[in-house]
Amino acid sequence: MFFIHETTCISAQHTFLQENIFPAKLNELNQPANNILMAVEPAYEGIPPGVLRRMGRAVRLGVGAAIPLLQKNTNTPDGIIIGTSMGGMEDCIKFLIQIIEYNEGTLTPTNFVQSTPNAIAGQLGLLSKNKGYNITHVHRGLSFENAVIDADMLLKEKPGTTYLMGAVDEVSSFNYNIEKLAGWYKQRPCSNEELYNLDSKGSVAGEGSAMFIVNDDPSNANAKLTAVHIFQTEDEALVKDQLHQFLKTHLGDNKPDLLLSGENGDNRLTHFYNSCEQICGPDVSIARFKHLTGEYPTTTGFACWIATEIIKRNELPQHMIKKIFRQDFKSILIYNSYKGMQHSFILLEHI
Amino acid sequence: MNRIVVTGIGVISSIGNTVEENRMSLMNGVCGIDRIDKNFPSKFAEVLPFGQIEMSTEALQKKLNAYDSGLTRNSLLAQHAFEEAIKSSAFTTEQLQSFDTALIGATTIGGICLTDQLYEDANKGEGGSEYLESYDCASVNMYLQKRYNMHGIVNTINTACSSSANAIMYGARLIKSGRAKRAIVGGVDCIAKFTLNGFNSLFILSPEICRPFDAARRGLNLGEGAAFLVLEKEEDCREKKIYAALAGYANSNDAFHPSSLSENGDGPYLAMNGALESSGLLPTDISFINAHGTATENNDEVESKAMLRLFDKPPAFASTKSNIGHTLGAAGAIEAVFSILNLRHQEIYPALNYKDPIASTGLAPVLSYTKASVNNVMSNSFGFAGNCSSLIFSKA
Repeated sequence: MFFIHETTCISAQHTFLQENIFPAKLNELNQPANNILMAVEPAYEGIPPGVLRRMGRAVRLGVGAAIPLLQKNTNTPDGIIIGTSMGGMEDCIKFLIQIIEYNEGTLTPTNFVQSTPNAIAGQLGLLSKNKGYNITHVHRGLSFENAVIDADMLLKEKPGTTYLMGAVDEVSSFNYNIEKLAGWYKQRPCSNEELYNLDSKGSVAGEGSAMFIVNDDPSNANAKLTAVHIFQTEDEALVKDQLHQFLKTHLGDNKPDLLLSGENGDNRLTHFYNSCEQICGPDVSIARFKHLTGEYPTTTGFACWIATEIIKRNELPQHMIKKIFRQDFKSILIYNSYKGMQHSFILLEHI
Repeated sequence: MNRIVVTGIGVISSIGNTVEENRMSLMNGVCGIDRIDKNFPSKFAEVLPFGQIEMSTEALQKKLNAYDSGLTRNSLLAQHAFEEAIKSSAFTTEQLQSFDTALIGATTIGGICLTDQLYEDANKGEGGSEYLESYDCASVNMYLQKRYNMHGIVNTINTACSSSANAIMYGARLIKSGRAKRAIVGGVDCIAKFTLNGFNSLFILSPEICRPFDAARRGLNLGEGAAFLVLEKEEDCREKKIYAALAGYANSNDAFHPSSLSENGDGPYLAMNGALESSGLLPTDISFINAHGTATENNDEVESKAMLRLFDKPPAFASTKSNIGHTLGAAGAIEAVFSILNLRHQEIYPALNYKDPIASTGLAPVLSYTKASVNNVMSNSFGFAGNCSSLIFSKA
């Protein structure tokens, strides 16, 4: 358990450094283009132009979101913890193309250096001269969750410390191709509004970054991250059982006010989300977010960011609502299933 | 009694397919770095030396009875070391499948070891190979998790060349925090056209067999391998054979440059010093350092300087990269196993190919096999993006 203080988020919607994102900024939604929700990239003030030019897309998204948090001198984290499934996939393939097309000739190393997933945390350490703990979790759909577990352990090991914790993934035409071939994106173009209603395989692609300053100090915090639980299974009964236990352990006889569901329009996964709605019961409101972000391995970073906003303001954008029980959002359970194999529960609460 | 101890080890490298074979090679100063298999799909195959494991991917499949669709050499090497580790730790099936058994693996290349295949799949747009779900780093541990039906926390870490040292730390911390009762931790990387060209573009590959800490060193050789360790709380395994204790660890960032270390070695110094602090040991308690010692111009000089900063007189040290090359994401775990062998058998293995000290530091590694009183071994792993980690293992 720890506290979420300042946050930033770069996503396909207008979420970056917005003072009042609900309802104004999140009413007009960007639509996917060819089933890809690309991030709205900001001007990246605060990153030296020479450094910015060399950055790959994932590094830019991650560093760009984190820099405003690190530039405030009230935030000097004791370490940097990043979750990213693939890091700089675009640079990776660009380097591959160099290898193949120049037949292993004299290649420029920039793409190689930028493609390693730890380039994001490394670049952040470099730019903020942070010599503390520095790590990159790359466990596909549980990369961000492992970053959360890591932060939680660090805050218990070293009380009084502060960490920058974040999630980053990019979409490039290359990883889009690979995931599409594997059947994870819809065949026909799909709008935000249609995403949950098409009853077909696959979702829309997405990308983004979310950054959090976290510590064990509740004063001025925006939300409390009460618990995280991860596991892998293809068995729906096991997911139900795990959710039962999770809720019992962390909420006793109570239920969360809101279930923030990772439903992504892929009809092969709907049954997992339905069974979690069932376990939560009729007294829990349900909201969804993947029509804002598209699908990528670290969407739970976005989910934590928007859950923090919902808790802070005690309001919820209309288009996210699947079912409303009560207009009160003091506790939010995020459930996400990545490709029906990797599952996570994250519980956030009002301070 | 709250120590984190190692109850199982497994390793495969270019000097042996098992822990015992690796030990024999280390004792006898065997170098596994040689010309690579001619079939390796790179023009550098005929030019550069590599620490290649002799067993072919097909032979690994047969030996491990592993024929799942989309399996990579990385996953197979990992499975080989994983199986030896769990066998030596006498795991029951229930323990392996239990929700309190974690699996933390590291790799820097994941399925990108299939460099040419990835190029095809990423650019084609139709058809697609059997490897579509295998390219990321997570694919290795997700395969192991599925094959052994594991339910506990699974994670993959990529901090370049310090990846598996961080996997070991993460596993130990999961146990200390109560999130796991036991953790299988380690790493793997096979030789890949992708990393080969990456390191080549940075001009840090040696055209000859590498010479860690030698004045005339010309760079590193890439190697391949995998290692896993089983970690448990000492109080939970009184009946078991204990190989060593994990006494301390630390991770810090050099915050200097994306692909080289700072002149004073702040990152290496902070990692080594932090590991000492977390172990409660004094610099004089360290009997031996398994150095990162890649044999690049930059690393060996900076690491030497950092050792001189931390220790009045640096303890005996050597780099086993002179035996097996740089195994990247596997290096931290393989060298952890080698450090445990130092402790278990009270012996130190010689550095190979060393002649003259680096002028600015004057340090010389251990040059012959010696029986010695070894109580605490420090193992260093430093990587790109400034990621530095050090581990300390102590006698069981």
